[in-house]
Amino acid sequence: MSIEDLKLLYGIGCLVLGLIILSPTLAMVIRLPGGERFSELWILGPEHLAENYPFNIVEGRVYNISLGVANHMGKTEYYLVYVKFRNQTEALPNWVNGTPSPLNPVFEYRVFLRDSEVWPWNISFSLKEFMFENGSCRVSKLVLDGNSIDIDKVAFWDAENRGFYFQLFFELWIYDSKVMGFQYHNRFVGLWLNATLTV
Amino acid sequence: MKRFKFAVIMFAILIISLFNFSRVCYAVDRAEADKALNDAESAVVSAYLAVVEAENAGANVSLVKAKLRIASECLANASNAFRLGNYEAAYDYAVNCAEMVEGLVYEAETLKEEALKSREERLFVSAACSSVGLSFLFVFSLFGWRRLRAFYVRRVLKMKPEVVEENEHRGP
Repeated sequence: MSIEDLKLLYGIGCLVLGLIILSPTLAMVIRLPGGERFSELWILGPEHLAENYPFNIVEGRVYNISLGVANHMGKTEYYLVYVKFRNQTEALPNWVNGTPSPLNPVFEYRVFLRDSEVWPWNISFSLKEFMFENGSCRVSKLVLDGNSIDIDKVAFWDAENRGFYFQLFFELWIYDSKVMGFQYHNRFVGLWLNATLTV
Repeated sequence: MKRFKFAVIMFAILIISLFNFSRVCYAVDRAEADKALNDAESAVVSAYLAVVEAENAGANVSLVKAKLRIASECLANASNAFRLGNYEAAYDYAVNCAEMVEGLVYEAETLKEEALKSREERLFVSAACSSVGLSFLFVFSLFGWRRLRAFYVRRVLKMKPEVVEENEHRGP
Protein backbone atom coordinates (compact mmCIF):
# COMPACT_ATOMS: atom_id res chain seq x y z
CA MET A 1 0.00 0.00 0.00
CA SER A 2 1.40 3.40 -0.99
CA ILE A 3 1.32 6.47 1.22
CA GLU A 4 -1.36 7.97 -1.04
CA ASP A 5 -3.61 4.93 -0.55
CA LEU A 6 -3.12 5.14 3.20
CA LYS A 7 -3.96 8.84 3.13
CA LEU A 8 -7.18 8.14 1.24
CA LEU A 9 -8.15 5.31 3.58
CA TYR A 10 -7.48 7.46 6.62
CA GLY A 11 -9.50 10.33 5.13
CA ILE A 12 -12.48 8.03 4.45
CA GLY A 13 -12.25 6.61 7.98
CA CYS A 14 -12.30 10.13 9.47
CA LEU A 15 -15.25 11.09 7.25
CA VAL A 16 -17.26 8.03 8.35
CA LEU A 17 -16.46 8.76 12.00
CA GLY A 18 -17.53 12.38 11.45
CA LEU A 19 -20.85 11.25 9.98
CA ILE A 20 -21.39 8.90 12.93
CA ILE A 21 -20.79 11.81 15.32
CA LEU A 22 -23.17 14.01 13.30
CA SER A 23 -25.87 11.34 12.85
CA PRO A 24 -28.04 12.23 15.92
CA THR A 25 -28.23 15.86 14.75
CA LEU A 26 -28.81 14.88 11.13
CA ALA A 27 -31.61 12.52 12.20
CA MET A 28 -33.38 15.44 13.87
CA VAL A 29 -33.06 17.70 10.83
CA ILE A 30 -33.43 15.42 7.83
CA ARG A 31 -36.75 13.64 7.30
CA LEU A 32 -36.57 10.59 5.11
CA PRO A 33 -39.59 9.81 2.92
CA GLY A 34 -41.86 7.10 4.32
CA GLY A 35 -43.10 4.01 2.53
CA GLU A 36 -46.21 3.64 0.41
CA ARG A 37 -49.21 5.62 1.68
CA PHE A 38 -52.58 3.89 1.64
CA SER A 39 -55.69 3.08 3.67
CA GLU A 40 -57.48 -0.22 4.12
CA LEU A 41 -61.17 -0.98 4.34
CA TRP A 42 -62.64 -4.43 4.89
CA ILE A 43 -65.65 -6.40 6.06
CA LEU A 44 -65.40 -9.60 8.07
CA GLY A 45 -68.06 -12.05 9.15
CA PRO A 46 -69.58 -12.28 12.63
CA GLU A 47 -66.57 -14.24 13.98
CA HIS A 48 -64.14 -11.61 12.64
CA LEU A 49 -63.07 -14.02 9.90
CA ALA A 50 -63.49 -13.79 6.15
CA GLU A 51 -66.27 -16.39 6.23
CA ASN A 52 -69.94 -16.82 7.18
CA TYR A 53 -70.93 -13.50 5.68
CA PRO A 54 -74.68 -12.94 5.84
CA PHE A 55 -76.20 -13.70 2.45
CA ASN A 56 -79.73 -15.12 2.62
CA ILE A 57 -81.55 -12.48 4.59
CA VAL A 58 -84.76 -13.19 6.42
CA GLU A 59 -87.06 -10.33 7.36
CA GLY A 60 -86.39 -8.99 10.85
CA ARG A 61 -83.46 -11.25 11.70
CA VAL A 62 -80.37 -9.44 13.05
CA TYR A 63 -77.04 -10.13 11.33
CA ASN A 64 -73.60 -9.13 12.52
CA ILE A 65 -70.54 -8.16 10.55
CA SER A 66 -67.30 -6.43 11.36
CA LEU A 67 -66.08 -3.37 9.48
CA GLY A 68 -62.42 -2.37 9.61
CA VAL A 69 -60.42 0.67 8.57
CA ALA A 70 -56.63 0.90 8.79
CA ASN A 71 -54.49 3.97 8.29
CA HIS A 72 -51.08 3.72 6.57
CA MET A 73 -50.95 7.32 5.39
CA GLY A 74 -48.03 8.32 7.60
CA LYS A 75 -50.04 10.72 9.78
CA THR A 76 -53.33 10.97 11.65
CA GLU A 77 -56.27 10.90 9.25
CA TYR A 78 -59.94 11.80 9.59
CA TYR A 79 -62.06 9.11 7.94
CA LEU A 80 -65.71 9.04 7.05
CA VAL A 81 -67.42 5.79 6.12
CA TYR A 82 -70.69 6.16 4.24
CA VAL A 83 -73.12 3.27 4.36
CA LYS A 84 -75.20 2.91 1.19
CA PHE A 85 -77.84 0.46 0.08
CA ARG A 86 -78.71 -0.39 -3.51
CA ASN A 87 -80.42 -2.88 -5.75
CA GLN A 88 -78.77 -4.52 -8.75
CA THR A 89 -79.60 -1.72 -11.17
CA GLU A 90 -78.24 1.17 -9.11
CA ALA A 91 -74.68 2.42 -9.54
CA LEU A 92 -71.66 1.37 -7.52
CA PRO A 93 -68.62 3.62 -7.04
CA ASN A 94 -66.39 3.81 -10.10
CA TRP A 95 -62.93 2.32 -9.57
CA VAL A 96 -61.48 3.79 -12.73
CA ASN A 97 -62.62 7.40 -12.29
CA GLY A 98 -62.41 7.24 -8.51
CA THR A 99 -65.94 8.58 -8.12
CA PRO A 100 -68.34 7.50 -5.38
CA SER A 101 -71.76 5.99 -5.92
CA PRO A 102 -74.36 8.70 -6.69
CA LEU A 103 -76.70 7.15 -4.11
CA ASN A 104 -77.37 9.04 -0.91
CA PRO A 105 -75.79 7.55 2.20
CA VAL A 106 -78.18 6.00 4.68
CA PHE A 107 -75.75 6.13 7.59
CA GLU A 108 -72.21 7.17 8.41
CA TYR A 109 -69.31 6.49 10.74
CA ARG A 110 -66.48 8.88 11.48
CA VAL A 111 -63.14 8.12 13.02
CA PHE A 112 -59.70 9.62 13.57
CA LEU A 113 -56.87 7.14 13.14
CA ARG A 114 -53.20 7.69 13.74
CA ASP A 115 -50.64 6.10 11.44
CA SER A 116 -50.73 2.27 11.48
CA GLU A 117 -53.85 2.26 13.65
CA VAL A 118 -56.76 -0.08 12.94
CA TRP A 119 -60.41 0.69 13.67
CA PRO A 120 -62.65 -2.37 13.99
CA TRP A 121 -66.37 -1.79 14.27
CA ASN A 122 -69.05 -4.38 14.95
CA ILE A 123 -72.14 -3.65 12.95
CA SER A 124 -75.53 -5.26 13.37
CA PHE A 125 -78.20 -4.90 10.76
CA SER A 126 -81.54 -6.29 9.75
CA LEU A 127 -83.96 -5.72 6.90
CA LYS A 128 -87.63 -5.19 7.58
CA GLU A 129 -90.96 -4.96 5.81
CA PHE A 130 -90.45 -7.25 2.81
CA MET A 131 -93.10 -7.33 0.15
CA PHE A 132 -92.92 -9.95 -2.60
CA GLU A 133 -95.17 -9.37 -5.60
CA ASN A 134 -95.05 -9.79 -9.40
CA GLY A 135 -91.48 -11.03 -9.51
CA SER A 136 -90.13 -8.26 -7.34
CA CYS A 137 -89.23 -7.73 -3.71
CA ARG A 138 -89.62 -4.44 -1.91
CA VAL A 139 -87.62 -3.81 1.26
CA SER A 140 -88.78 -0.79 3.19
CA LYS A 141 -86.54 -0.58 6.23
CA LEU A 142 -82.93 -1.15 7.16
CA VAL A 143 -82.12 -1.27 10.86
CA LEU A 144 -78.46 -0.45 11.37
CA ASP A 145 -76.97 -0.45 14.86
CA GLY A 146 -80.46 0.02 16.26
CA ASN A 147 -81.35 2.93 13.94
CA SER A 148 -84.36 2.32 11.76
CA ILE A 149 -83.82 3.81 8.30
CA ASP A 150 -86.37 4.09 5.49
CA ILE A 151 -84.81 2.72 2.32
CA ASP A 152 -87.71 1.56 0.14
CA LYS A 153 -85.75 -0.43 -2.44
CA VAL A 154 -87.12 -2.80 -5.04
CA ALA A 155 -85.19 -5.73 -6.50
CA PHE A 156 -86.43 -7.83 -9.40
CA TRP A 157 -86.04 -11.58 -9.59
CA ASP A 158 -82.57 -12.50 -10.86
CA ALA A 159 -83.24 -15.67 -12.86
CA GLU A 160 -79.54 -16.40 -13.40
CA ASN A 161 -78.53 -16.23 -9.74
CA ARG A 162 -81.99 -17.12 -8.44
CA GLY A 163 -82.69 -14.43 -5.89
CA PHE A 164 -83.75 -10.89 -5.06
CA TYR A 165 -80.44 -9.14 -4.63
CA PHE A 166 -79.59 -6.01 -2.70
CA GLN A 167 -76.20 -4.71 -1.72
CA LEU A 168 -75.13 -3.05 1.48
CA PHE A 169 -71.86 -1.28 0.83
CA PHE A 170 -69.44 1.00 2.60
CA GLU A 171 -67.47 3.84 0.99
CA LEU A 172 -64.33 5.24 2.55
CA TRP A 173 -63.89 9.01 2.47
CA ILE A 174 -60.93 10.93 3.82
CA TYR A 175 -60.58 14.53 4.96
CA ASP A 176 -58.42 16.56 2.62
CA SER A 177 -57.10 19.72 4.23
CA LYS A 178 -56.25 21.19 0.81
CA VAL A 179 -59.88 21.25 -0.29
CA MET A 180 -61.16 21.65 3.29
CA GLY A 181 -63.59 18.78 2.91
CA PHE A 182 -64.02 15.04 2.59
CA GLN A 183 -62.92 13.34 -0.61
CA TYR A 184 -63.86 9.88 -1.79
CA HIS A 185 -60.81 7.66 -1.11
CA ASN A 186 -61.61 5.21 -3.94
CA ARG A 187 -62.22 2.31 -1.61
CA PHE A 188 -65.45 0.48 -0.98
CA VAL A 189 -66.57 -2.92 0.23
CA GLY A 190 -69.99 -4.46 -0.03
CA LEU A 191 -72.18 -7.39 0.91
CA TRP A 192 -74.65 -9.02 -1.44
CA LEU A 193 -77.90 -9.77 0.33
CA ASN A 194 -80.57 -12.09 -1.02
CA ALA A 195 -83.96 -11.26 0.44
CA THR A 196 -85.78 -14.51 1.24
CA LEU A 197 -88.77 -15.73 3.18
CA THR A 198 -86.86 -18.59 4.81
CA VAL A 199 -83.21 -19.66 4.92
CA MET B 1 -95.45 51.03 46.53
CA LYS B 2 -95.00 47.50 47.91
CA ARG B 3 -97.30 46.15 45.26
CA PHE B 4 -95.31 47.90 42.56
CA LYS B 5 -92.05 46.43 43.88
CA PHE B 6 -93.60 42.97 44.00
CA ALA B 7 -94.85 43.35 40.45
CA VAL B 8 -91.40 44.44 39.24
CA ILE B 9 -89.74 41.44 40.94
CA MET B 10 -92.29 39.03 39.49
CA PHE B 11 -91.82 40.53 36.04
CA ALA B 12 -88.04 40.15 36.35
CA ILE B 13 -88.42 36.52 37.45
CA LEU B 14 -90.73 35.91 34.50
CA ILE B 15 -88.26 37.40 32.03
CA ILE B 16 -85.34 35.40 33.49
CA SER B 17 -87.41 32.21 33.41
CA LEU B 18 -88.32 32.86 29.79
CA PHE B 19 -84.67 33.18 28.85
CA ASN B 20 -83.69 30.09 30.84
CA PHE B 21 -86.39 27.75 29.64
CA SER B 22 -86.97 28.99 26.12
CA ARG B 23 -84.18 26.78 24.73
CA VAL B 24 -85.63 23.71 26.36
CA CYS B 25 -89.19 24.35 25.31
CA TYR B 26 -89.00 25.25 21.65
CA ALA B 27 -88.58 22.57 18.98
CA VAL B 28 -85.47 22.59 16.84
CA ASP B 29 -86.08 23.01 13.13
CA ARG B 30 -84.03 21.71 10.22
CA ALA B 31 -82.14 24.98 9.65
CA GLU B 32 -81.04 25.24 13.27
CA ALA B 33 -79.92 21.63 13.38
CA ASP B 34 -78.06 22.13 10.09
CA LYS B 35 -76.29 25.20 11.44
CA ALA B 36 -75.34 23.42 14.67
CA LEU B 37 -74.06 20.51 12.61
CA ASN B 38 -71.93 22.79 10.41
CA ASP B 39 -70.55 24.58 13.45
CA ALA B 40 -69.67 21.28 15.10
CA GLU B 41 -68.04 20.03 11.90
CA SER B 42 -65.95 23.20 11.63
CA ALA B 43 -64.92 22.89 15.28
CA VAL B 44 -63.92 19.24 14.83
CA VAL B 45 -61.95 20.00 11.66
CA SER B 46 -60.11 22.90 13.34
CA ALA B 47 -59.24 20.65 16.26
CA TYR B 48 -58.11 17.89 13.89
CA LEU B 49 -55.83 20.23 11.94
CA ALA B 50 -54.35 21.56 15.19
CA VAL B 51 -53.76 18.00 16.41
CA VAL B 52 -52.03 17.03 13.14
CA GLU B 53 -49.76 20.07 13.40
CA ALA B 54 -48.93 19.21 17.01
CA GLU B 55 -48.24 15.62 16.02
CA ASN B 56 -45.94 16.73 13.20
CA ALA B 57 -44.06 18.84 15.72
CA GLY B 58 -43.48 15.68 17.73
CA ALA B 59 -45.99 16.26 20.53
CA ASN B 60 -47.68 13.41 22.36
CA VAL B 61 -51.29 14.01 21.35
CA SER B 62 -52.85 10.72 22.45
CA LEU B 63 -55.08 12.35 25.08
CA VAL B 64 -56.29 15.08 22.72
CA LYS B 65 -56.86 12.50 20.03
CA ALA B 66 -58.99 10.39 22.36
CA LYS B 67 -61.23 13.40 22.99
CA LEU B 68 -61.34 14.10 19.28
CA ARG B 69 -62.43 10.56 18.56
CA ILE B 70 -65.34 10.78 21.00
CA ALA B 71 -66.31 14.10 19.42
CA SER B 72 -66.21 12.54 15.94
CA GLU B 73 -68.55 9.75 17.08
CA CYS B 74 -70.86 12.39 18.47
CA LEU B 75 -70.74 14.26 15.16
CA ALA B 76 -71.54 11.06 13.25
CA ASN B 77 -74.53 10.55 15.58
CA ALA B 78 -75.61 14.11 14.87
CA SER B 79 -75.34 13.57 11.09
CA ASN B 80 -77.24 10.29 11.29
CA ALA B 81 -79.97 11.82 13.42
CA PHE B 82 -80.22 14.71 10.94
CA ARG B 83 -80.47 12.29 8.04
CA LEU B 84 -83.27 10.43 9.83
CA GLY B 85 -85.12 13.70 10.36
CA ASN B 86 -84.59 13.77 14.11
CA TYR B 87 -83.50 17.41 14.24
CA GLU B 88 -83.65 17.79 18.00
CA ALA B 89 -81.32 14.86 18.57
CA ALA B 90 -79.07 16.11 15.76
CA TYR B 91 -78.94 19.55 17.38
CA ASP B 92 -78.17 18.11 20.82
CA TYR B 93 -75.45 15.82 19.49
CA ALA B 94 -73.91 18.66 17.47
CA VAL B 95 -73.91 21.02 20.46
CA ASN B 96 -72.36 18.28 22.64
CA CYS B 97 -69.74 17.66 19.99
CA ALA B 98 -68.86 21.36 19.74
CA GLU B 99 -68.56 21.53 23.54
CA MET B 100 -66.30 18.48 23.55
CA VAL B 101 -63.83 19.98 21.11
CA GLU B 102 -63.95 23.39 22.73
CA GLY B 103 -60.46 24.17 23.94
CA LEU B 104 -58.88 21.31 22.01
CA VAL B 105 -57.31 23.69 19.49
CA TYR B 106 -55.69 25.62 22.32
CA GLU B 107 -54.60 22.38 24.00
CA ALA B 108 -53.08 21.09 20.76
CA GLU B 109 -51.33 24.41 20.09
CA THR B 110 -49.87 24.38 23.60
CA LEU B 111 -48.63 20.83 23.07
CA LYS B 112 -47.17 21.87 19.73
CA GLU B 113 -45.32 24.81 21.25
CA GLU B 114 -43.97 22.62 24.06
CA ALA B 115 -42.88 19.99 21.56
CA LEU B 116 -41.16 22.57 19.34
CA LYS B 117 -39.40 24.07 22.35
CA SER B 118 -38.28 20.67 23.55
CA ARG B 119 -37.14 19.78 20.03
CA GLU B 120 -35.15 22.99 19.76
CA GLU B 121 -33.47 22.25 23.08
CA ARG B 122 -32.65 18.70 22.01
CA LEU B 123 -31.39 19.96 18.66
CA PHE B 124 -29.19 22.53 20.40
CA VAL B 125 -27.69 19.92 22.78
CA SER B 126 -27.22 17.48 19.92
CA ALA B 127 -25.61 20.11 17.68
CA ALA B 128 -23.31 21.23 20.52
CA CYS B 129 -22.24 17.63 21.23
CA SER B 130 -21.69 17.02 17.52
CA SER B 131 -19.59 20.20 17.21
CA VAL B 132 -17.42 19.21 20.16
CA GLY B 133 -17.11 15.69 18.76
CA LEU B 134 -16.15 16.98 15.31
CA SER B 135 -13.57 19.37 16.78
CA PHE B 136 -11.98 16.52 18.74
CA LEU B 137 -12.07 14.36 15.63
CA PHE B 138 -10.36 17.09 13.57
CA VAL B 139 -7.55 17.64 16.10
CA PHE B 140 -7.01 13.94 16.83
CA SER B 141 -7.15 13.04 13.16
CA LEU B 142 -4.25 15.45 12.43
CA PHE B 143 -2.16 13.98 15.26
CA GLY B 144 -3.24 10.53 14.27
CA TRP B 145 -2.22 11.10 10.66
CA ARG B 146 1.26 12.26 11.71
CA ARG B 147 1.77 9.20 13.89
CA LEU B 148 0.35 6.88 11.27
CA ARG B 149 2.59 8.37 8.59
CA ALA B 150 5.66 8.05 10.84
CA PHE B 151 4.74 4.43 11.59
CA TYR B 152 4.26 3.76 7.89
CA VAL B 153 7.62 5.33 6.96
CA ARG B 154 9.43 3.33 9.68
CA ARG B 155 7.84 0.15 8.46
CA VAL B 156 8.74 0.87 4.84
CA LEU B 157 12.32 1.69 5.76
CA LYS B 158 12.64 -1.64 7.58
CA MET B 159 11.52 -3.40 4.45
CA LYS B 160 14.17 -1.64 2.27
CA PRO B 161 16.79 -4.12 0.96
CA GLU B 162 20.47 -3.38 1.88
CA VAL B 163 22.40 -2.81 -1.35
CA VAL B 164 25.85 -3.32 0.29
CA GLU B 165 25.08 -6.88 1.41
CA GLU B 166 23.82 -7.67 -2.00
CA ASN B 167 27.10 -6.52 -3.60
CA GLU B 168 29.10 -8.65 -1.15
CA HIS B 169 27.23 -11.78 -2.14
CA ARG B 170 27.81 -11.23 -5.78
CA GLY B 171 31.70 -11.27 -5.43
CA PRO B 172 34.18 -11.57 -8.29
